[in-house]
Amino acid sequence: MNDLPLSGLRIIDLSWIIAGPTATRFLATMGAEVIKIGSARRPDPSTRGAPFQAYNQSKLYGSLNISKSRGVDIAKDLISISDVLIENFAYGVIERLGLSYEVVRKDNPNIIMIASSGTGHTGPDKEYVAYGSLLQYYTGWNSISGHPDRPPVKGGLWADPWVGMELAMVISAALSNRVLTGQGQYIDFSMAESLTAAIPEALLDFQMNNRVKEPQGNSDDWLFPHGVYRCLGNDRWVAIVVNNHAEWIELCKVINRPDLGDNPELISAVERMKYQKQINDAITTWTETTNDYDAMEILQEAGIPAGPSLDIARVFENQQLRKGGYFKGIVSNDGVTREMPSLGWRFKEGKEGNFTGAPVLGQHNDYIYRELLGLTEIEIEQLIAEEVIY
Amino acid sequence: MIRGLLPGIRVLELDQGISGPYCGKIFAQMGAEVIKVEPIEGDYSRGMGPFPNDIPHPEKSGLYLALNCNKFGVTIDLSTTSGIQQLMDMVPTVDIMIANFLPGSMISLDPDRIRDCNPEIILTSITPFGNWGPYAEYKGSDLILYHMSSHAHGLLGPVDQPNSDPPIRAGGHQSDFVAGMAAATASMMALYRKLVTKHGCHIEISSYESMVTQLISGLANCSYGKPAPPRSLSALQEAATGGMVAAIGGILPCNDGYVAISPREQAQWERWVDILGSPEWSDEKRFKTREDREANSPELWELMSNWSRNHSKNDIANWGQQKRIPCFPVNTVLDLFHNTHLNERGFFTELNHPIAGVYNYPGVPYSLSHCPLPLDARPAPLLGEHNQLLLKSIN
Repeated sequence: MNDLPLSGLRIIDLSWIIAGPTATRFLATMGAEVIKIGSARRPDPSTRGAPFQAYNQSKLYGSLNISKSRGVDIAKDLISISDVLIENFAYGVIERLGLSYEVVRKDNPNIIMIASSGTGHTGPDKEYVAYGSLLQYYTGWNSISGHPDRPPVKGGLWADPWVGMELAMVISAALSNRVLTGQGQYIDFSMAESLTAAIPEALLDFQMNNRVKEPQGNSDDWLFPHGVYRCLGNDRWVAIVVNNHAEWIELCKVINRPDLGDNPELISAVERMKYQKQINDAITTWTETTNDYDAMEILQEAGIPAGPSLDIARVFENQQLRKGGYFKGIVSNDGVTREMPSLGWRFKEGKEGNFTGAPVLGQHNDYIYRELLGLTEIEIEQLIAEEVIY
Repeated sequence: MIRGLLPGIRVLELDQGISGPYCGKIFAQMGAEVIKVEPIEGDYSRGMGPFPNDIPHPEKSGLYLALNCNKFGVTIDLSTTSGIQQLMDMVPTVDIMIANFLPGSMISLDPDRIRDCNPEIILTSITPFGNWGPYAEYKGSDLILYHMSSHAHGLLGPVDQPNSDPPIRAGGHQSDFVAGMAAATASMMALYRKLVTKHGCHIEISSYESMVTQLISGLANCSYGKPAPPRSLSALQEAATGGMVAAIGGILPCNDGYVAISPREQAQWERWVDILGSPEWSDEKRFKTREDREANSPELWELMSNWSRNHSKNDIANWGQQKRIPCFPVNTVLDLFHNTHLNERGFFTELNHPIAGVYNYPGVPYSLSHCPLPLDARPAPLLGEHNQLLLKSIN
């Protein structure tokens, strides 16, 4: 069994920037034929730069100007021979273009169309214009991160990648539903709600205790030790978590303080929290003379969850990822082979996935217009001249 | 009448904590029949907060209640042969089984025994680092995975003193949720194939690689030779991209909190200046173009803050959105429950749990034209609630 899970499916991808392309990257690497549609008239803002090369791995890329009515007709022809249509334009744009669900389902009654937007396509704020980074503030997601005495956190590229994965998940569920019931689906997806759904602890805490959860840095309400500790070197840290008494005893041995492990006053996390400063100091005394990766190895060998706090360049060099085969040597569109990311899952047998470099705009026009739609050479030249294929 | 997105699909969940149960919850929300198997003492997440009045109670964990809505719950002692038999009796009837088979986990069976018993089954195993590579045996946790995947490095934003102000994780359990969503995504894809071809499979999810895959943009930058963004404020200001973060978007202080804005394109910026009342400084050369604003962002943000401090976060957000500028109030969970937009969309689902009581739970972020959700929403199961209904009795 060598087929990838989604082989035989065709997806028309009108989405751009990050969230939508992330979704179709998952689908393309798992075997679907993803046809990204774009136009030189209004290029995907993410086209410049390396991230585009990751977000658009394994896809086909056709140029089509859907601001022209002939372009819309061609898009409809493509959609009519496809299984899924994905878009993430601002509210109302796809309808104005003439590619609403009501329109596209006429030619393809079983199409699955997914429309992703910042706040969803119903409700009083449906027309709000959004970027993923701002939605992290709007949805409460950022409110539980940071330090209580400081302004909200400033960083964290989270919303778009998170939403991208959930989009791929719900598209796959709708595809299963189509096998079970024979029917397609229109899916209205709210990025904001996707983020709020991922903070249930704070939502329940508020209702249970009338408490607006304060951000708490690296600490945890129920576990201690639970934090990062300074290591040898500049801005080097190791994260350590103790889940139970056995791990606590082992940690005390590693940091050369078995006396703390023997102390009956420090058996539970709640009791240990009363001596937070002393315990953190004792741990730091050991970590600050140890390299972060060495600290991880020593602690993990002793059965204590631990790992270094890495920047992206050190993630790129991480040995688990390197030796575990996470990076794939992929030929980029400039002809250079580069180590590019793959997926967070493996199938125990069969192919791992379809991993090819990101395309350039119009690279697959020939396949799309000649092979799929059966247009003649003359028709294609005409469309190029009219800036429809553009 | 067919109900739900996954009618007739059965899922057996033998995992504890967050990521496995979150994967199961996603199936349950879509109308699959999810049977959660707990050890006799219950899923350990029943001991994780929040709890009413902060008093732990196995039927009142907010985390457990949120992660296990819509599931059936049974308890099985898998250390006994009769317990294994109870489990194996169910295996032929299910499409998907979520279990990680790690030593010390709920089930130490050989996964092939499950697959022999049901060749079409999809096995979904979530482990911290995957069943491969040098860290295969290592333990993980939400905190550690968040830091090891470099998300912590960027979250706080640049700081003055990187050696005393460490990177931090996001609130909640974002790494565990990512692993659960990755498991659900791969399982959904495998389910599609199973429905078409009758092929089962065993999917192994690495929580770490799933978290790393959330930052493929950064990894692509690395593979094109770019250095990691610095964490120290001074290094960032020295870098060529100095003000990029601030000029592209950021937060402004208000008289009742903060507002997040991002008038990054020139046209957006010009409309934004209108809202500010076209102050004299906005005509200055140093703020003319996007590049100028990036180069002079600290001064720019100070000037805008002087204005924003006189207004409320909702006023500024509304003024901005009326001019189609991406801007939003910085909300807390309190604001969310008063949010008319979320309420009108019916995002929260009220469920009455027989012991914990009535709470509103976050729903799904998608609505489907042909499958209204949520379906017959039920609260999380009591410990062993469905033993009689679903388990063959032990003789």
